[in-house]
Amino acid sequence: MTLSVTCRSGSAGVGFALTVGCVLFGAVRSWGAPLATPESCAVLRRHGQQAEAQSCYESLTHSPRADLRAEGYWGLQEFKDANEQFQAATAGPDAQAAVRVRYGMLLHERFNDVDSVALFQEALQRDPRNAQAYLGLAEVSAGGFDGKAAEYALKALSLDPKLSEAHELLAGLALENNDTEHAVSEADAALAIAPDAMDVMALRGAVELLADRSPDAWFAKMHAVNASYGQGYALVARQLEMHYRYEDAIGYYRKAVEADPKLWSAHSALGIDLMRIGQEDEPRRELELSYNNGYKDRATVNSLRLLDSYKSFVTYKDEVTTLKLRREEADLLRPYFDAELHRAVATYQKKYGMTLPGPVQLEVYPDHEDFAVRTMGMPGLGALGVTFGEVVAMDSPSGRRPGDFNWGATLWHEMSHVYILTMTKHRVPRWFTEGLAVHEESAATGRPEWANRLTPEVVAAIRDKKLLPIETLDRGFVSPEYPAQVVVSYWQAGSICDFIGNKYGEAKLLAIAKAFGAVKTTPQVVKEELGLSTADFDTQYKTWLNAKVGTTVANFDAWRTRLKGLVELEKAKNYEAVLKEGEAVRALYPEYVGEANAYEFLAEAHLAKEDKKAAAAVLMAYAQAGGESPATLKKLASLQEESGDTKAAAATLDRINFIYPVHDEDLHRRLGALWLAQGNFPGAIRESAAVVAMKPLDKAGAEFNLAQAYYASGDKAKAEETVLLALEAAPGFRPAQKLLLELEKPGTSSDSKDKK
Amino acid sequence: MKTLLLALCVLFGSAKVWGAVYYVTVAGLGGEPDYEQRFTAAARDLDKSFKAAGSSAHVTTLTGKDASRARLTEVLGTVAREAKSEDDFVLVLIGHGTFDGAEYKFNLVGPDVTATELAGMCDRIAARRQLVVNTTSASGGSVMMLRRPGRGVIAATKSGTEKNATVFARYWVEAMQDPAADVDKSDSVSALEAYQYADRKTSGFYESQKRLATEHAVFEDTGRGEPVRAASGSEGALLSNFTILRIGASQKAANDPARQQLLAKKEELEQKIDVLKYGKAAMDPSDYKKQLTAALVELAQIQQELDK
Repeated sequence: MTLSVTCRSGSAGVGFALTVGCVLFGAVRSWGAPLATPESCAVLRRHGQQAEAQSCYESLTHSPRADLRAEGYWGLQEFKDANEQFQAATAGPDAQAAVRVRYGMLLHERFNDVDSVALFQEALQRDPRNAQAYLGLAEVSAGGFDGKAAEYALKALSLDPKLSEAHELLAGLALENNDTEHAVSEADAALAIAPDAMDVMALRGAVELLADRSPDAWFAKMHAVNASYGQGYALVARQLEMHYRYEDAIGYYRKAVEADPKLWSAHSALGIDLMRIGQEDEPRRELELSYNNGYKDRATVNSLRLLDSYKSFVTYKDEVTTLKLRREEADLLRPYFDAELHRAVATYQKKYGMTLPGPVQLEVYPDHEDFAVRTMGMPGLGALGVTFGEVVAMDSPSGRRPGDFNWGATLWHEMSHVYILTMTKHRVPRWFTEGLAVHEESAATGRPEWANRLTPEVVAAIRDKKLLPIETLDRGFVSPEYPAQVVVSYWQAGSICDFIGNKYGEAKLLAIAKAFGAVKTTPQVVKEELGLSTADFDTQYKTWLNAKVGTTVANFDAWRTRLKGLVELEKAKNYEAVLKEGEAVRALYPEYVGEANAYEFLAEAHLAKEDKKAAAAVLMAYAQAGGESPATLKKLASLQEESGDTKAAAATLDRINFIYPVHDEDLHRRLGALWLAQGNFPGAIRESAAVVAMKPLDKAGAEFNLAQAYYASGDKAKAEETVLLALEAAPGFRPAQKLLLELEKPGTSSDSKDKK
Repeated sequence: MKTLLLALCVLFGSAKVWGAVYYVTVAGLGGEPDYEQRFTAAARDLDKSFKAAGSSAHVTTLTGKDASRARLTEVLGTVAREAKSEDDFVLVLIGHGTFDGAEYKFNLVGPDVTATELAGMCDRIAARRQLVVNTTSASGGSVMMLRRPGRGVIAATKSGTEKNATVFARYWVEAMQDPAADVDKSDSVSALEAYQYADRKTSGFYESQKRLATEHAVFEDTGRGEPVRAASGSEGALLSNFTILRIGASQKAANDPARQQLLAKKEELEQKIDVLKYGKAAMDPSDYKKQLTAALVELAQIQQELDK
C-alpha cells in the first residue's frame, strides 16, 4: 500500500483535527506533521519515542475509519474503545480480511484466544493467502503448545517470505525445543528482514544465556534501538522459564519491569515465577499491580485466587522439608506424605550424592484447578505434579478419581526433578530430566509395580514408528505433533533411561546428568558418556526396545480385536469362555491394566466358578503389572485375607494408600486391624489415626480402634486419652468400656505409670 | 439447639415401649435389567437384615412381578389390620420415581402408586411411629404428601426435580449391615444414624467419582415442617429415637426386673455424662476430663455388672 498521499486539513488551525478529507489509504496527517499510520506509530514506539508515539496513536483515534480509530485506541492501551471500533470495522460483510486479522491480534493480546482464532479463520475465508492470519494462528498455537505453531508460521512465510515475525516465532519455538542451531538461523533470517527487531535480538541474547555465554552484545544492540524496551527482557525470561531456570527468569522479569515499569504482563509473570519458588508477599504485590492496571489474563486472576486460598492450607516445616496441605485433609494425609517425602529425600541424597541447599517444599492441592494454576502457560502434561526448583506442587489424591493416579509415584518423580535441576543448575534437556524422573518411579523407590506403563497409545506409537530420535525428543514434550505425543514422549524418555540404566548401570545416568550440567548438548553427552553417535544410540535403543516390547507391539491389533470379544463374553457371563479367551488376551498384552483388562475379567470368571485361589493369583498378577484400581486391589486383599495370607492382604491394602488414601474409611480400618493383629503397631496406629482424621460418623469406633493400637504398642497414656474420646462419643460402647477399665486397673493406668 | 434436641430425645426415650416392627420393602420397576437386578438385590439385602432383627420383626418384601400396586395395597392392608399403636412401621421404597410438579409416583409393575395414595395407605396403619424411606429418583417430591406427625419421611432427593437414578438405596442397605452405622454403640441403628450414614456415603460416592451430585437426601419428621438435610432443633428427634434395627441384647436387659436398679443407675450416669458433655466448653479441661473419666469408669463397671 502506498502511503505517500497528500492530505488536506479539513479544519484550519486545529492541530490533529484531520478527520475530514485527509484520511486516505489508512493514513492520517496532522497539520505539518508526518503521515500517521499504525505502522509509523509502531515504529515510533519501538524506537522509544513514547511521546511521539502517543501523539501518533492519538491522531489515529480521530480517523473517520473505524479500523484506524481502533488501532489508535489500541496503541493508547484503551482496549475497550479499540474493541468497539474493531467491532464496528468488522461489522459489515465487506470488512477486509486484514482488519479481521488485526482485531484477532488485539483479542489475542487481551487473552481471548477463542475469538481471535475465529477472526483469523474468517480472514482466511475471505483471503486464503493472508499471511498475517496464519501468523496469528501460529501465535495462538505457540501459547497453547498444541504443536501446530510451526506449521502455521511456515505457511505464513510461504505466503510472505518477508514476514520477519514468522521467522522470529520459529526461532522461539526452536529454542524452546533446544534446537539452538535452528533458532539462530531463524533469528538471523528475521534480523535480515527487520534489522531493528528487538524481540529477535532478545532471542539471540537468550541463546547465549542458555549456553552460559554473555548475552551483553545482543542486549547492547537492543538498547541501541530502544533503551527502555522491557519486553525484550521478558522474552528472555520466558525462554529461561521454558528451560526450568526460574530463578534466572525472575532476574530477567525484574530487568523487564525496571526498563518498562508499565509492562504489566511482565509484572504478572514475575509474580507467578516468584510464587513458583515458594514466595507469597512479593508475588501478591506484583500480581495485584498487574491486575489493577488492567492485565487480567487467566494466569494473573487464577494466581491471585490461589494466593487467597493459601489461608486454607496448613504448613508443616522441619529442617529438610516444608509440607503444605489443605487444612481439611492435612491430618489424614500428613503421615503419608511426610514419610514418603523424607524417604525420597534420603534416597536421592544417597543415590545422587548431593544434599539440597535448603528445605524442599511440597504443596498438595485437592482442587485440581488450584494445581492447574501452577502449571498454566507451561508445556508438557503438567497434570499430576510440577517442580519449580525446590518447590514441588502436585495434585492431592482427593483431586482425582480413585485409581486415576499414584501420588506416591508422582512425588518421587517430582523429587527426582528437584535433585537433577539443582545438580545441573537447571541446565538439562527436558527429555533427560523427565525420562530420569519416570525411571526413578520404580528404580529409586524399589517398587517395580510403579514402573513406566506401556499404555495403548504408547504401543500404537511404537507400532506406527512415531518414537522420536533422542536428539529431537524434546519436541515431543513442547511441540507435540499428535494428541498423545506428550504421553508417548514421557514413556520414551523413561524407557531410554531404563535402557541406559540397564546397559551401562545406574551410575551412568548420574554421569549423564552431570554432563548436562556442564552445558553439553545431547549429541555431545551421548558421545562422551556412552561412546555413541545419537544415530547409533537410537539404533541400539530400538533393538533393546524391540526385544522388550516387540511382541506386545506385534500383538496389538489382535489384542484389540480379541479384547472386544472378551468383553462380550463377560457380558454374557460365559465364564468358561472368559477363562479360556481371557488368558489368551492377557498373554497378547500382559502390560495392559487399564479399563476392561483381561486380569479383572479372569478374576471375575474364577470367582463365578468359586475358584478363589485362581482369582487371587490373577489379581496378584494384575497388581504386579501395575494395576491400580482401588476396588480391584481391595478385592485381592479380601481374597488374600480369606485364604489366611493376612500379610499379603495388608501389603495389598497398603498399596492403595499410595493411590487413593482418601474417602475410604474401610481401607484404613481394615489395614489397621490387620497390622494390629500382626503386631505392626506403628502401622496400626497410623491407619487407625487415618480413620479418626476422616471425621467418621462412627467416631467412637474409630477412636476405640486407635486406643487399642496405642494400648498394644504400650502407649497407655495415649490409649487412655483416645478411649475417653471414644466413650465421650458413645458412653455405652462396651469394648471401649472394657479397655477403659483395663487401663484404670491399679498399677496399669497412665497416671500411675507416670507417677512411677 | 443441642439441648433442645437432647431434651426431645429423652422425652421420646422415656415414653418408649418395645413393640413389634412391621417392615415393608418394595423394589419397584427397574425398566432395564441392570436396574432390575440392583433394586431386587438391595431389597433382598434389607429383607435379610430385617429378618435377622428377631421375632418381633414382621418383614414383607416385594420384588419383581410382586412389586405391583395391587400387592402393595394388599400388604399395607394386612399391616393395617395387624399393627398396634405401640408397634413401629417401616416402609422402604427402592426404584424409580417421577414427579410432574404436583404429584409424585413410585414406578411399579403395572399402574404406579402416587405419594397421596401411599400416604392414605400408611394413614390406615395404627402404628403411632412410622418411617417411610423413599430412596427413588425424584423422591423429594413425595415428602410433603407423606409427612404426618409421628411419621418420619426420608427421601433420597431434595426435590422432585432431582430425576437421575440414585445411589442412596445402596448405602441405606449398607447402613443396616455395617456396625459403623451404630454411631452411639447402643447395639441398635436408629433412623437418624442410618440416614446420616447413607447420606454421607452418597456424598462420598459423588465426590470420589468427581461427579456433580444429582441427589441430596432430606428428611422430615415433625409432620409439619419442610424437609431438611440435617438434624436441627426439633427436626431429627423422631428419627434419632426410631430404632430400625436392634443388633444386640439391649432389649433383653431392659425387660429384666432384677436389673432395674442397675439400669436406673446407668441411666443416671448417662444423663450425668450428657450434662458434662454439653457443659464442656465452659469447664476447665482437666476438671472435665477428671469428671468424665470418673463417670465413664463407673458406667463401664455398671455395664459389666449388667452383662454378667
